[in-house]
Amino acid sequence: MNNWIVNNFWIKVVSLILAIITWFYVNEELIKERRMAKQLYKSSAISQVQNPSHGKKPVK
Amino acid sequence: MHNHISLVKILIEICILWFVCYGILLFARGTRGVYVLRGIILITLIFIITKQLGFDRINWIFTKIFALSILAFLIIFQQEIRRGLASIGQRRWSRFFLKETEIISEITTACFLLSKKKTGALIAIERETRLENYIESGIEIDAKVNSELLITIFTPNTPLHDGGIVISGERVAASGCLFPLTQNPKVSTTLGTRHRAALGLSEETDAIVVIVSEETGGVSVAIGGRLTHDLDRESLERVLGNLYRPDSKNRK
Repeated sequence: MNNWIVNNFWIKVVSLILAIITWFYVNEELIKERRMAKQLYKSSAISQVQNPSHGKKPVK
Repeated sequence: MHNHISLVKILIEICILWFVCYGILLFARGTRGVYVLRGIILITLIFIITKQLGFDRINWIFTKIFALSILAFLIIFQQEIRRGLASIGQRRWSRFFLKETEIISEITTACFLLSKKKTGALIAIERETRLENYIESGIEIDAKVNSELLITIFTPNTPLHDGGIVISGERVAASGCLFPLTQNPKVSTTLGTRHRAALGLSEETDAIVVIVSEETGGVSVAIGGRLTHDLDRESLERVLGNLYRPDSKNRK
């Protein structure tokens, strides 16, 4: 067990730091994306309310 | 309860990323890819830091460099990447069925048969540090370790007998490999090139290097820049048995 921890100790530490940084970075990007998607959804819903014919084909 | 599940999910995700990063770093160690990898990690860290600090122009430059370096990495190291991906399928699962004592026995038998005939031999056994650089300097063999093969390789006046062989896991990876000569001034001047190469490799890596002297027929082992001379069969088996663990080495 002790050997398992000591073996390649610094590579394990560096890879753990990299993993944590990557996780936080990706997490932040995902939050941003979701926020942006929500905003887009909201703005499209508002434009639908203000202009109900928006995006629909004109009826002949 | 929901918070607990989220926390476990986060921990699992970080563990997966940790495992992937560790695998990549371990695979790159001992290959020329390690320097490029260091550069990419550095650029990535600067990229993340500048983004966090809001340095948009610097961030823009690093975004472009980062994209280019990934592309360059893929092109330059396509061979290593191919080999690495292939090894995922080939190595890991077979490692559970390794017969470590059999391999040690084959190496020892070959060494003492060569010693009897006073045929020189240089055998490097890979451990944690990968010996890709040295494997690339020789001729790829990728064969199961057996004493007959080792004896055949070191038979004088054959194309493969010059240089050393590298044993990686349970396979003879390559022969005719060039190892670095030791630069240690304290090393005895009476030592030949074969012993100097063995010492040089053991200084630079954690490999176990077995040498059979052409002059005396003596079997020596170089580990960590130190040479142990004139081993008998039992001592060699004991040394290899203590240090050589093909199932616990680098491909975890």
